[in-house]
Amino acid sequence: MTAKRLRIIALLAISTVFLLAWAFPIVWSVLNSLKTDSDVLAYPPKLVFTPTWEAYRDVLFGSGSILPNLLSSVIISVGTTVVTMLMAVPAAYALARLRFRGKKFAGFYVLATQMLPPVGIIIPYFLVLRNIGWIDTYQGIILIYLSFSLPFAIWLLVSYFEDIPFEMEEAAYLDGASRLKTLWRIIIPQVRGGIAVTIVFVFLNAWNEFLFAVVLSGNTVRPVTVAMFNFVSVEQTLWAKLAAVSVLAMLPVVVLGVVAQKHIVKGLTVGAVKGGGRR
Amino acid sequence: MPSFTPTRRTLLKTGTAAAAFATLGPAFLRQAAAQDADLAPYKSAQIDWQQVSGESITVAVIPASYFENLIALAPQFKALTGIDVRFEKIPPAQIRQKSVIDLTSKTGTYATHAADPMYYALYAANKWVEPLDTYLADKSLTDPAWFKFDDIIPAWRSANGIDGKLYGMPYDGEVTIQVYRKDLYDAKGLKPADTLEAYMSNAAALNTPNDRVWGAALRGVAGAGQNMYIYPSIFREFGGDWMKGGKLTVNGPEAEAALAWYVDIMKKYAPTAAANWNWPDIADAFSQGTVASYIDAHSSASVINNPEKSKVIGKVAYARWPKGPSGKRTTSIWNWGFPINSALPEKKRKATWLFIQWAASAETQARTAHKFAGPTKRSGVNRTSVWKDPDYIKLMNGFGENFVEATMSALQEDTDVDWRPRVPQWPAIGDTMATAIQSALSGQATIKAALDDAQRRIEPMMRG
Repeated sequence: MTAKRLRIIALLAISTVFLLAWAFPIVWSVLNSLKTDSDVLAYPPKLVFTPTWEAYRDVLFGSGSILPNLLSSVIISVGTTVVTMLMAVPAAYALARLRFRGKKFAGFYVLATQMLPPVGIIIPYFLVLRNIGWIDTYQGIILIYLSFSLPFAIWLLVSYFEDIPFEMEEAAYLDGASRLKTLWRIIIPQVRGGIAVTIVFVFLNAWNEFLFAVVLSGNTVRPVTVAMFNFVSVEQTLWAKLAAVSVLAMLPVVVLGVVAQKHIVKGLTVGAVKGGGRR
Repeated sequence: MPSFTPTRRTLLKTGTAAAAFATLGPAFLRQAAAQDADLAPYKSAQIDWQQVSGESITVAVIPASYFENLIALAPQFKALTGIDVRFEKIPPAQIRQKSVIDLTSKTGTYATHAADPMYYALYAANKWVEPLDTYLADKSLTDPAWFKFDDIIPAWRSANGIDGKLYGMPYDGEVTIQVYRKDLYDAKGLKPADTLEAYMSNAAALNTPNDRVWGAALRGVAGAGQNMYIYPSIFREFGGDWMKGGKLTVNGPEAEAALAWYVDIMKKYAPTAAANWNWPDIADAFSQGTVASYIDAHSSASVINNPEKSKVIGKVAYARWPKGPSGKRTTSIWNWGFPINSALPEKKRKATWLFIQWAASAETQARTAHKFAGPTKRSGVNRTSVWKDPDYIKLMNGFGENFVEATMSALQEDTDVDWRPRVPQWPAIGDTMATAIQSALSGQATIKAALDDAQRRIEPMMRG
């Protein structure tokens, strides 16, 4: 009994250490976003201080307001997610169920696009967008984001589709349903969890993206990840404001994570017929 | 028009620099535009400012108060020339990358951009930017008597020239100087160092980590513009020469002695974390009273005089770089200059030149500095005449004792064009050296091993 208790204590201690290491940057950001610049630099670091909303007020409503950037981020992320899902669901279904020439190659190709280092393809992307006049436009950035989000979504969804037993589809066909109707009425409801998980990941990837955004965006379309960097100026680092922007940029991610948690868990456990859950 | 009399008080207000323009933005921008709309000083130039009226250009700058002030005056430029300027603010780490992509692809996105002087060798070798001499000499585009090119700080002009041709017009710049806590120095009877040796012993005398005061701090973090901004000065002061027999050489006895001094002072008398510090971190630490002295850009004075966070206001003084064993002082010179993108059609190039001429003119320099209506006044103006203007001097001397003298003598006497190796391969060489320096600073490699390794990596770059 004591050995077991010791084990639990040890496990708890180890997880606490990891949790602290991971939580520290977030706690640091939240605390500093509520401080004045002189409190940020105070030593020893002040744990008790008069919180102020000044940094938030400045970054939201001051002259360097990040509201337009937050809007840019929302448009880009939602746009990328919607287009990705519209194309990924049928594609993943096809790869999981249909037999067609080049299926194996198509499957490999989807994965291979994930292996390219993004840095290597920025310049060609830049040139393509430049030549069609899509630099610093929503359609341009969303198009480029599709290049990584679509393969990723297909790859993730295929495994969910593969887990649905053929019997379910066959039952639907016997009842006279067409393939599309079966997909829409029978299959998709079964992979709801998987689709939710994919949506979350695609959205988060688009929301957090920085590398492509910094090169392909400009004054008109500038997501918050890029705008944030302007608070580290050559003259000084505006710690409190930088922390406030980070917290604001993190919020949607955290909210989405909490909301989607249920689906993520469900997506992993739901099975339509006995033994038909994820293997 | 209300006259502007700078006092210590106004200067302290200016110290809030970037912090303040973010909050006060739109209001003072409008005010600045309305207040100084007088275009007569520009119209006395014997050129047709309106010759390419209707053109529009995009200018990439970094987010910094000295560019914010210029952006605030853009409506005046539009009124003067009929040219639309669209500014794009890009963080310093990305502006090089974005402009190089633009230049290599010849897309002409940025008519001009805030350029790193170390990149002109690369730009010129590829003919990505125009030699500006042709524009300076063209009487229809430039009135030499009005523009007074020679008034622009010579050190920055030569930093932006390759083989005697100018490729970027200096707009704002800096030099590195010694910044020290006069109160601490006085208490121990110390004087600002005249030699690197004295700088080390001053640091030793003031280093009391138990009271949270460290003797000195220099930029330690790896980067072509970070530790490779400070090390080259030390290297040259130790008598180092980048080009030995026509071959780029980064190792050798002078290099070893220089790096040994750098490692020594950082290990013994700087806060441990300083090995990863960049200039804002040094200024933050100094402003909190934890560092007795640093050698860095004169422009950091506005941060350490920012009343919103500094605890050392009124206790700061300045001096030139200490001399090295070679008897030489070598400051690090820097300026943001404006080149002209060669990929532009002729009319846009002319529009770009008019913009550059306007931005670099004595009138605009004054209007963005001591005559600026907003809270931030520039400390990096490009004109000797402005540096001699009593109003400007009075304003700048509010930063602390000996500020203008140290800055001006550094600019005039301590600069050295070959302070860093000016070759097209610089971006890669700068990074390689920065990594080598950091590995020595962190103790991962011995000084000799770090430098030899850098030399081995750099040789193939110079061949290719």
